[in-house]
Amino acid sequence: MSDSNRRPQSSPAVAPRLEPWLTTVNMVKFYSSNDIYPYPFPAVTLAYFLRYPNPYSTHVLSTDTIARHYDADKQQLTTVRLHLKRSKLPSGVLKLLPRSLLGASGSGESQAYILEKSVVDITNGTMETESRNLEFTGILSVVERQAFRRPVSQADDDAKVFQGMENAVRRHGFLNFGSGARVEDSGESTEVNSSVTLHSHIGEKWRKRKAAEDGAAAEEEQPEKMGFFKSWSTGSLQRSIEMIGLNRAKRSQPNAKEGMKVVLERMREGGLVAVLEGMRQDREAILGGHPHAFSKDNQRRGDNDE
Amino acid sequence: MSASLAPECNEVKEKYDNCFLKWYSEKFLRGTATSDECEPLFKQYEQCLSKALKARGIDSMLKEAREDNRENDAEHMRPKR
Repeated sequence: MSDSNRRPQSSPAVAPRLEPWLTTVNMVKFYSSNDIYPYPFPAVTLAYFLRYPNPYSTHVLSTDTIARHYDADKQQLTTVRLHLKRSKLPSGVLKLLPRSLLGASGSGESQAYILEKSVVDITNGTMETESRNLEFTGILSVVERQAFRRPVSQADDDAKVFQGMENAVRRHGFLNFGSGARVEDSGESTEVNSSVTLHSHIGEKWRKRKAAEDGAAAEEEQPEKMGFFKSWSTGSLQRSIEMIGLNRAKRSQPNAKEGMKVVLERMREGGLVAVLEGMRQDREAILGGHPHAFSKDNQRRGDNDE
Repeated sequence: MSASLAPECNEVKEKYDNCFLKWYSEKFLRGTATSDECEPLFKQYEQCLSKALKARGIDSMLKEAREDNRENDAEHMRPKR
């Protein structure tokens, strides 16, 4: 979308940070965290495709693959999926905006489409994902990105990495489709950087929006250009909405990680069969409207920005 | 498996998803995939889904969003190393 979204990605050379960090660059708010999944890279990419439904995602109603392309030369798989999520607008946003603009029901209950794109590069051991909301982008655009990679230390020697992966594939039963084979704990891990970029365009005209985006890339020039007094009320509304979105993203991110962990744990315990059986149960629970045995999930159903 | 947006597409979606998972785990992840073997099933699924998207008025929104993002995709989705 803009330079501002792309810029804050951490480079592979940066050591993982322990705590999530937050920044505000003019009209953009940004959340980032680094984590390590104690599972091999191939398993994590598979879990990403199989992460809905899980007990932490009962607000996800459907997932469809709308495009898929395999580049055999590069061994890269590109996937575009469309998720439909039950959405509850934060009461803070409801207070700020006229309902006619939101198109939601009186309580703010609504459904939201999320477009997700991912590229898995199996040769290099990377998976890049990006999810964005399709509607209400003028009010708040939320872009979530994740970069998964095999730890760099394993990548010193390409041939070794490839050999290592082949071995991992053989060792890990999760790849045996249709069998109950298990994944052994080999100590391999996958690094992930997750980020959420929030950008409210409310009250902006297109040109001004472009200016803000360009400004975010050149932060120091921006305050003068914007004209503080002229934009004050629009700016404060945008900041309020972005702050609400940011707080929600901060709350939902841990749930997203827990959801991935549930799927990975099922894979470890009983292979792909266990993952699919778990999904079936979760789906039944969602359709039945009573998420089983996960009481805290009920409380968190509104946190759906993942 | 996850549900389709369109209940009428669930059956063909499940067929495709099963094919994909098998191909992905047995060929792609091993680096031995030479082509997307599930493409014929995807075409069937896509055919069902595109009707459903159109009926729900999502198709134009989707098209717009994907066009908007196309040039950014080339930048963002590039593997970092």
